[in-house]
Amino acid sequence: MEFSRLRKITALAGVASLAIVASGCSGGGSDEPASADNPVNLTVTTFGQFGYDDLYAEYEEQNPGVTIEATNIDGSANARVDAFTKLAAGSGLSDVVAVEEGWLGSIMEVSDQFVDLNEYGAADIKDNWVDWKFEQGTDPEGRVIGLGTDIGPQALCYNQELFEAAGLPTDRKEVAELFGGDDATWETYFDLGRQYHETTGKAWYDQSAFVWNSMVNQMDEGYYTADGELNIEGNEAMRAQFDLLAAGTADGLSANQKQFDWGKGKAFVDGSFAVHVCPAWMLGTIKEQLEAAGGGPETGWDVADVFPGGASNWGGAFLSVPESSEHPAEAAKLAQWLTDPEQMVKQSAAANNFPSTLDAQAEIVEAAVPNELFNDAPYGEIFASRAEGVVAQFKGPQDSEIQENVFAPALKILDSGEGTADEAWSEAIQLLNDRVVNN
Amino acid sequence: MTTTLNRPAASSPAPAKPALTFRQRLNVFDMKASPYLYISPFFLLFALVGLFPLGYTFFVSLFDWHLLKGQGEFVGLRNFQEVLQDRFFWNSLFNTMSIFLLSTIPQLIVATAIAAVLDQNLRARTFWRMSVLLPYIVTPVAVALIFSNLFGEQYGLINNILESFGFDRILWTNETLPSHIAIATMVNWRWTGYNALILLAAMQSVPRDIYESAAIDGAGVFRRFFSITLPSIRPTMIFVVITATIGGLQIFTEPRLFDPRTYGGTAAQFQTTVLYLYEMAFQRQNFGKASTIAWLLFLIIVLFGLVNYLISQRIATTGDGRGTGRGAGGRRRKRSPAPAVVLPAVGPQPPAPAAEPAPDLAAEQAGTPADTTPRSGQ
Repeated sequence: MEFSRLRKITALAGVASLAIVASGCSGGGSDEPASADNPVNLTVTTFGQFGYDDLYAEYEEQNPGVTIEATNIDGSANARVDAFTKLAAGSGLSDVVAVEEGWLGSIMEVSDQFVDLNEYGAADIKDNWVDWKFEQGTDPEGRVIGLGTDIGPQALCYNQELFEAAGLPTDRKEVAELFGGDDATWETYFDLGRQYHETTGKAWYDQSAFVWNSMVNQMDEGYYTADGELNIEGNEAMRAQFDLLAAGTADGLSANQKQFDWGKGKAFVDGSFAVHVCPAWMLGTIKEQLEAAGGGPETGWDVADVFPGGASNWGGAFLSVPESSEHPAEAAKLAQWLTDPEQMVKQSAAANNFPSTLDAQAEIVEAAVPNELFNDAPYGEIFASRAEGVVAQFKGPQDSEIQENVFAPALKILDSGEGTADEAWSEAIQLLNDRVVNN
Repeated sequence: MTTTLNRPAASSPAPAKPALTFRQRLNVFDMKASPYLYISPFFLLFALVGLFPLGYTFFVSLFDWHLLKGQGEFVGLRNFQEVLQDRFFWNSLFNTMSIFLLSTIPQLIVATAIAAVLDQNLRARTFWRMSVLLPYIVTPVAVALIFSNLFGEQYGLINNILESFGFDRILWTNETLPSHIAIATMVNWRWTGYNALILLAAMQSVPRDIYESAAIDGAGVFRRFFSITLPSIRPTMIFVVITATIGGLQIFTEPRLFDPRTYGGTAAQFQTTVLYLYEMAFQRQNFGKASTIAWLLFLIIVLFGLVNYLISQRIATTGDGRGTGRGAGGRRRKRSPAPAVVLPAVGPQPPAPAAEPAPDLAAEQAGTPADTTPRSGQ
């Protein structure tokens, strides 16, 4: 008697849990649009400088019933750990998740865990974006899992005060010419650095890893070939660039700063280095650093429409909707709204980054709002010009790992003067084997 | 669940004595089964949050297991083989041991000295005693933030002072030994006062008349300290050593936050084993190997626990300081929040009995969750 009752209860529990599972699976597509009668909570996770706060409020106002709960993580590396942990756990991801270009490759490996935004009309607005940005967010099966927010075309930041003290031109057009204009090369960049170092005795750039990242990003194929094979060992073009950088660093051009730390921004104020590679979003980062160190426009930073080695893109983000979202339709709607050109213009103004949609770019160029912190530089015009000719490079699953944990430690050997180019390169290869090949 | 598990064993002897009334039988049942029922919540909870994760971690360690893609193919003990040949694993063990030694030894010496001073007749003694505990209340995150400013390489306070006196800068994050000292300093700052209080409690229970007779016999302050105080607090000292060992082997927060952009330095200069485990799981996304590291760390801690147990048993039988370790209580310290990967050594610990604290504590601390099972066999 007891047993049979128990069995009944077990059976009931089984059916109930099955029903829950079933409804959980089907729950995806059938959510009702949000309204005042059907309130929907949407969670959003972003990182670093995203500039969305005002936009959330605007969206909530336009869409009664929608409440946005936003989380902003302090940097892309932490956002990566956060997203991966939650993906692994199978729950906890926000309805809208910002994904960085650097770890998009890993996300692509599990792209089936993200909603195909084509189901919510992504294909219709495809032409909003620069074509390569839209392609990056598309997985090999043609499912669109990420809508582009910003891109990171690279320009060159330089410090006017320091340039003047070294007898170099300070006007941003002259500086662009100085580096070689459209034909700027890394050789010129390092030669100017040597010249600067001889006159002032100071370092030219903050640390090698950022320069290296820029160099690799502008190659046709970076750490991976377009077919997804590792492309480092025996890659002579890459080794040549490495040697170029190593020679510069050996000549004292690196300030051996800690990346994304810079002594809490002090290195941007005290003249430790004179130039800095500047993907568009870096202006926001530098702004933050200057504020932390108490520096303002008077520190003399400016940005020139030039980049050694030609057009290059570093970073940029995407908005994705995970399959685990309970309101995929609402979430996709929000992601689309946030990446709409109109909103991108506002985002760009708030976060100092550069939009990935053509209309937004055009609007920013036309508005020509000067960036006060960078000597009133017309950053829209500069970065639109720097975005021309960018070719999207294939990013493999371990791209950010290779950048941060294979080459960054190897380049640190050079920065701290503890080894030669050969030693640093072979350390990089060994780290690659340890961490990526035999992982 | 509990009742059904225990009931059959307890009620089986009942039919053998038919003369017993229902009430008597109930009493017998109460006598025999109740103690087990009372302690069962701990063991059930432990099985759920300690034993199962431990077993499952071992299961995961036998597979290629990707963080995002999940379970892969069965590889047997290959992960163990590879981790044992991994230079970063040995590097992490070296760092862990080095930081452990740099933190534990000075910490215990200073803590004993502070305790001895606090044991004197001071004005406002509660104030002084509470003050030494203050660093312990500050969260490790805040401690790490403040200390990484102090130990900054180019803009840190310490290096600024050194430079203004004409000394060379110390590369606090790029060189191995300085980085270990920096991290050990954070650990010491946080834990010295805590240990001092535990040792103070032990010192308080040393009978005062021994000191008096020693003083009458002409023993000076130092002689009294070394010949009376130290031997008397030996069991508590052992407890402190053991908890410091376990805490030291699991150190995570301080090295993690000392340089939050890397996993223990650009070239793993101060990457501890738990930090390596964390990196393996969440940066390198290799859950199989991360589980392997967790298991190896667990085995090492068990080994340390056993050594501690043997030593402390020797000391406890030769020493005469029994019953003086009351202050130690059963509190167990935890240096760092457990990383999200299942770590063997986290779990609730029952308070230790007041009498004969040393051997019991040793077993318990050697414990770490999984060891509670062998515990029944001693």
